[in-house]
Amino acid sequence: MQTILAIVGIFALTVVFVGGLRAAGWSDFTGPATAPQQRPVLGGGDPETHAWQRFHVRYYTMMLLFVAFEMEMMFMYPWAVVFVAEGGKALAEMGMFLAILSVGILYGWREGVFRWE
Amino acid sequence: MTLLAVFGLFVFLMASVWAAAAFDMACRGWVSGLGARSADRPLRVAAMWLTQQRLTTEAPDRMNGLLSIAGYLALAMVGLAMVPLGPDMALIALPTSVVLWGACEALVVVVVFLHGWSQNAPLAMIGAYRYVAIGLPIMLLSMFVLIAAALPAGSLDLRDIVTSQRDLWNAIRQPLGLPLFLLLGLSLTLRGPFNYADSVDLAGGTSVESSGPDRLAWQVARLAMLTGFSAVAATVFLGGYLGPVLPSPLWLALKTVMIMALVIGLSHMAARTPVARMMGLIWMILLPLSFADLIWAGLVAF
Amino acid sequence: MTWLNHLAARAHVPVFVAFGDDAPAEAWTLSRLPGVLIVDTPRAASVLLVAGTIPEALIPYLHRLHDQLPHPRATVLWQSRPTQSIPNAVAVTGGNEIGLVVVNTFADLLAGDRVSEPDVLPNKPPAEWRGVGPHGQGGKGMMGGTPYGRPMAMTDDDIRDGLALDSYTAEFGPFLPFFPPGLVLKLTLQGDVIQKVKATHPPFGSGRPLLAAMLRLMGLPALAVRSLNGGANRRVLQRLIRLSGARFAIPPGLGRMPDGSDVRARFDRMTRTSTDATLQNPSDMALGHVLIGLEWHAAMLVLSSIDAASLQTLCKNSDNDDASSATDGRDPSGHDMHTGHMS
Repeated sequence: MQTILAIVGIFALTVVFVGGLRAAGWSDFTGPATAPQQRPVLGGGDPETHAWQRFHVRYYTMMLLFVAFEMEMMFMYPWAVVFVAEGGKALAEMGMFLAILSVGILYGWREGVFRWE
Repeated sequence: MTLLAVFGLFVFLMASVWAAAAFDMACRGWVSGLGARSADRPLRVAAMWLTQQRLTTEAPDRMNGLLSIAGYLALAMVGLAMVPLGPDMALIALPTSVVLWGACEALVVVVVFLHGWSQNAPLAMIGAYRYVAIGLPIMLLSMFVLIAAALPAGSLDLRDIVTSQRDLWNAIRQPLGLPLFLLLGLSLTLRGPFNYADSVDLAGGTSVESSGPDRLAWQVARLAMLTGFSAVAATVFLGGYLGPVLPSPLWLALKTVMIMALVIGLSHMAARTPVARMMGLIWMILLPLSFADLIWAGLVAF
Repeated sequence: MTWLNHLAARAHVPVFVAFGDDAPAEAWTLSRLPGVLIVDTPRAASVLLVAGTIPEALIPYLHRLHDQLPHPRATVLWQSRPTQSIPNAVAVTGGNEIGLVVVNTFADLLAGDRVSEPDVLPNKPPAEWRGVGPHGQGGKGMMGGTPYGRPMAMTDDDIRDGLALDSYTAEFGPFLPFFPPGLVLKLTLQGDVIQKVKATHPPFGSGRPLLAAMLRLMGLPALAVRSLNGGANRRVLQRLIRLSGARFAIPPGLGRMPDGSDVRARFDRMTRTSTDATLQNPSDMALGHVLIGLEWHAAMLVLSSIDAASLQTLCKNSDNDDASSATDGRDPSGHDMHTGHMS
């Protein structure tokens, strides 16, 4: 309960802090940005379209491998807790698991998943 | 009581942000050869940003713009709140605090992305997407080294990890752990060789469109994250509050300052490589190194 | 004057420099001036410093840049032609007094003795807003629409992996801090990879210190400032650069030119660790050959590794040679699309 209260308190405090920095009228110039002020920074140039787009994410193949590793973390947490009690068996298990994952990295590298496609 | 402690933590954090900013500016002075005396002062810069008008872009995402900055700061505070200041003295006393810290790391990627996304501007957008390509895999290796540090403690509680270092610090017992974890620190705080979000080649990346108070709040959040990260690193690898003679919170503060100085120094002295190359480096070299760290930690834990 | 303004006036003055033609030599070492902070974006600046003459063709760009500064703001024209559109600008000719003028202008602004400059451009959206629908998006479903009078990006072909997603076209420059001054490029991007290049305006034949530009691009701004110290303590500088790993941060083979040098080799020339001849003028190359297919950071490293005269040649060749034909014949990125693939 104390944990949740602390986390909620922290988030509330930071929103108030950032909002306060914005809203408190520190500056003599609090007016909204005019239309020319709102143009995106391009060093004087002007864009044809909005920046929001179906962005071409160049590392999408890497993300698939990432998901595999991230799920594996679920297994690591309980493993870390029982490791000393279980002894060599736990080490062998994790060694095998990491070996399989490493083969996955090698395979991914051969397939070119770490390149900026 | 808890809320009062949260407020106290915030005040402490702001003092730390000021100190980190001053050291950062001095460090820049040293490396540039102009000397630390030429450096600016944090409070004056903060005042200068506060007197500037706050600008917005064409059709920005206002809600995420606010939440990304506040969220970044909040994640830094959550990290700091988990750190034990002494035996059984932690604001967030959780038996699974390592897992919560892992969640904070993952959410940093989200808030940095949102900071760039919410501007609706091209350079900010590139910075936001590019950061994800590095922020995600670097998190994997940090979790491997954190789990390695949890092995001798047999617990995911930062308090138990500290007490497990009574005889020997994890930084010595698992020599690969701290260097790999420092790389995560550079990435979490958008610094130097891992600053793929707010870099010069994008004129400031996700913060290219920020002015005045927004710029101030974002920089404060970055330095707050540096404090949060350093405190966690000092706890996990340098024995946290443990130490002779001096009171325990002071030991923690000393070690935290040491890590902060290390990260700031690294960020001024190490070059950044293009993102595609770094992504390959993380997967092909750094991640296998973190496997080695985990296996090494397992072998010495018996 | 409030206490906050009083405190703010003692901070280093955030200055954005817009380099024109024939910018004073001192303009390149401004980051070494006490009391001045050179910033990367106009959003962070209070003083716009126009160094040198802005050609007639780039005046509209200067106006757009000027209006992007937040209030309070001021313009300082340094050996620059006065312009009707910014009547209150401070004019400076000498190189010695520039720091003092900038600091005093900033102090006057914060004290309220100087009026913050109004916009040059009229306060209306870039295009007439024809919004329909609850958010003014105007399109059908997920496609198109013109919120805020600007269209949304639409799909286009991609040269790297052939996945046709949205392409983004805009003019970048001439006042980007990481761009060669004067250069305006109309770039078409997919994600962060350059698809098309067209030089709208060639770079000035400037004395831009390339080593400092490269160091800044690699996240070493403090070392960049050190490199501008006029050649004193070169040994220390060389050692610090070696220690930073900057040479190895540059991907090998990036931006190869007809004389066989890549960015790394040209960087070695800048740090004077290699004594090769300087870059030959690339008479048969266009900008597209060196930039198309590159990721943003890599492309910026390439741009900063080429001196102004060679860049001007590249731009001139690009005018004759249509940018889209640059992909014919040779693979511009030096990136073989099929290595490591099963197909």
